[in-house]
Amino acid sequence: MRPGAEERDDAALLRSVARGDEEALAALYDRHAAWLTVRMTRRYAMPDVVDHAVQDTFLALWREAHTYRGGGDVAAFIWGIGVRRLIDAIRRENRGRHRLPWRAAEPDVVVSAEDQVLVGIEHGRLGQALAGLSPELRGAIEATVLDGLTCAEAAVLLGVAEGTVKSRCHRARVALRAALAEQQAGPETPAHRREAWGTS
Amino acid sequence: MTSPFPDAAEPTPGADWHADADLLASYAVGTADPVVVWSVEAHLTGCAQCRLALAAHADAERLARNRSVLLVRVAMPGEGRMRRLLCRCGVPDHLLRLLAATPSLRTSWLLSVIGVVAVVAGEAAAVRYGWIRAGEPGRLARYPDSEVLAPFLLVAPLLVLAGVAAAFLPSFDPAFRLAAAAPFSGFTLLLVRAVSALAGALIPVVGAAFVLPGPGWLPAALLLPSLALCVFALAAATVLEPRAAAVTAGALWTLPVLLLAAAHVPLAIVQPNAQFACAAVLCAAVVVLLARHDRFEWGWKS
Amino acid sequence: MEELTLNVSTAAVGVGGLSRRYGATRALDRVDLTLERGITGLLGPNGAGKTTLLSILATVNEPDAGRLSVFGLDPRQAAERVEIRRRLGYLPQELGYHRHFTVAGFLDYVAILKEITDRRHRAEEVARVLAVIGLEGRARTRVRALSGGMRQRLGIAQALLGEPELLILDEPTAGLDPEQRLRFRELLSGLPGDPVIVLSTHQADDIAAVCPQVVVLLQGQVRFTGTPAELAATAAGRVWAADERDGRAHLSWRGGDNRWRHIGDHPPGGAELVAPTVEDGYLLLSQAAGAR
Repeated sequence: MRPGAEERDDAALLRSVARGDEEALAALYDRHAAWLTVRMTRRYAMPDVVDHAVQDTFLALWREAHTYRGGGDVAAFIWGIGVRRLIDAIRRENRGRHRLPWRAAEPDVVVSAEDQVLVGIEHGRLGQALAGLSPELRGAIEATVLDGLTCAEAAVLLGVAEGTVKSRCHRARVALRAALAEQQAGPETPAHRREAWGTS
Repeated sequence: MTSPFPDAAEPTPGADWHADADLLASYAVGTADPVVVWSVEAHLTGCAQCRLALAAHADAERLARNRSVLLVRVAMPGEGRMRRLLCRCGVPDHLLRLLAATPSLRTSWLLSVIGVVAVVAGEAAAVRYGWIRAGEPGRLARYPDSEVLAPFLLVAPLLVLAGVAAAFLPSFDPAFRLAAAAPFSGFTLLLVRAVSALAGALIPVVGAAFVLPGPGWLPAALLLPSLALCVFALAAATVLEPRAAAVTAGALWTLPVLLLAAAHVPLAIVQPNAQFACAAVLCAAVVVLLARHDRFEWGWKS
Repeated sequence: MEELTLNVSTAAVGVGGLSRRYGATRALDRVDLTLERGITGLLGPNGAGKTTLLSILATVNEPDAGRLSVFGLDPRQAAERVEIRRRLGYLPQELGYHRHFTVAGFLDYVAILKEITDRRHRAEEVARVLAVIGLEGRARTRVRALSGGMRQRLGIAQALLGEPELLILDEPTAGLDPEQRLRFRELLSGLPGDPVIVLSTHQADDIAAVCPQVVVLLQGQVRFTGTPAELAATAAGRVWAADERDGRAHLSWRGGDNRWRHIGDHPPGGAELVAPTVEDGYLLLSQAAGAR
């Protein structure tokens, strides 16, 4: 299956949505709602909030489809909208009730070393170092680096104060640098490190 | 090797790798290893095949439910700028939606605009064709344009009244039986419509008053009479039939204006004495309205 | 839901001695009625008072005299009246629509009237009723662009908003073709929560198919209360089929099988007795009422 063809299809659907085609929106929903729901649930476990966020995401897609510039995966575009709608939904939820603490996803199954190699993680370097982090630090890294949220948004997602997010990110970086320095598994250029950490 | 960070600029030579069913299943349920999950999520961003495979593990009923709610919300009428502004000012969303069903917001606007424009055009023509000469020494002291203004003074508050009347006359609400059988307070519905109709009608009326020849305080002087007239009609509707109330209010304005116009002092209707009278009527009407607001149930006298 | 009403009976909805006149005409004349969970059919010709009775049950109109109790609440008390309306769904005979409304917009409007203030909750309710009546794909269609049958279904949908415990439907099958009437009956039988449903019609076969309870209303008075089978049984022994018409029969018409059907006391020669239908019973009652 050629990823290129699929991407064009999604992009074409998005262009139709921008023109007001409701069926194209429904088709995009059918393709993307499942992974979006799962990915959001991993960030915030309350199903009602996730449901609202999913609806809001596609609603925002309906209004903002024309802002898609055509470079990159449609799925990444959808996630960019979705994660912010999730933050909004959590904010609304927090206004109504008690803040829910971030629930760490404790794995029941430990993935074997072979599996890790199979899924393509650099077992000897970043992957192992990441696995060695505590859940809170990993969560902070996930929110700021993987999902690209600001510290304020990450604070809402994780249910902690903004200062806590900043300090956790810092501690995580320190821990990772230490872990990577220990491994000495190969030349580690500053450029590689920059790539790994993104722009911040 | 697939990088766990999707923003990484390096190419993905491992693009032939796909997540197997077990991995997807554990990811869908939330039991997969956190670091593996990052890799899976990065991969899903670019691979439609695995996205489809993941969908097989998803809760179909939940997805279907969200889908139908989404399509309903997409089908809702869009939010205009005015509505968003009002929302920010704290007006509840459901009240704004009710305005969408207000006939007088559309009709009265059209009515007022057309009516006022017609009147203004008529007056301008009157001055131009010399039926009424402005600037004559004898008339200067008595506002030379006063008789030109008589039609406008008559019509302007009546236009506002008409807009508000459309808010409480059942014949203007095709779905009034549904509203009658519903728990939503009839008085609140009425107020929402009346206030918006009032605002909608006052704007062109006051705007036209600025354009007309005449004293500079004319636009402001129209506010109290219009307001008093509308609130009087509403209060009267708690006592009389709605249509009778509207007609009575209209007559109560028309008669004095015509009489004063016949006496060549039409502007007296908007001068301080008359303003005080309007204020008094307004206060009395407000009191009556608040005391008897539960009479606005269609079909029930008790 | 068990509730003791103001009346002696423990019915969900009880009506006693209800009267209402419009000018000189007596639309309802001392009507006594009880409604239970399940479907009750109100059968009668136009002008019999069905619409008046239903509008009074829906708290839209006030009766001149008589008692009315809905789930133990008295509509003459303003606060209880509002509470009744919270549990009510009403489809009037003439359902008006604002011209510019779309299907979703109209349902949204009615949902607000039913005090569903939260926008999300409203969208969920609207999606739910659209699925029940099968108009999901039409959410953005303007109401005035819908066919008669779809508009009728939309009317039923708005009545279903808020999951009412009392559903009042005035001529819901008017303008529907037989297939749509069948789907409507299926819809009614499948409603969750077992509400009290009362529907009016002047077509006897609607009643026969779906209503375990029938009330016949003629000239503002209740002439019959019971099951459809009992209504049919009132014409037992007086319905005949023959090859020729009979002048002495009360009613006489030619059926689809090219035989004449008579309702009367004196069968013509060569006629055979046939089993009466609900319609026969109803026609006999109307005949009797007309003769008075």
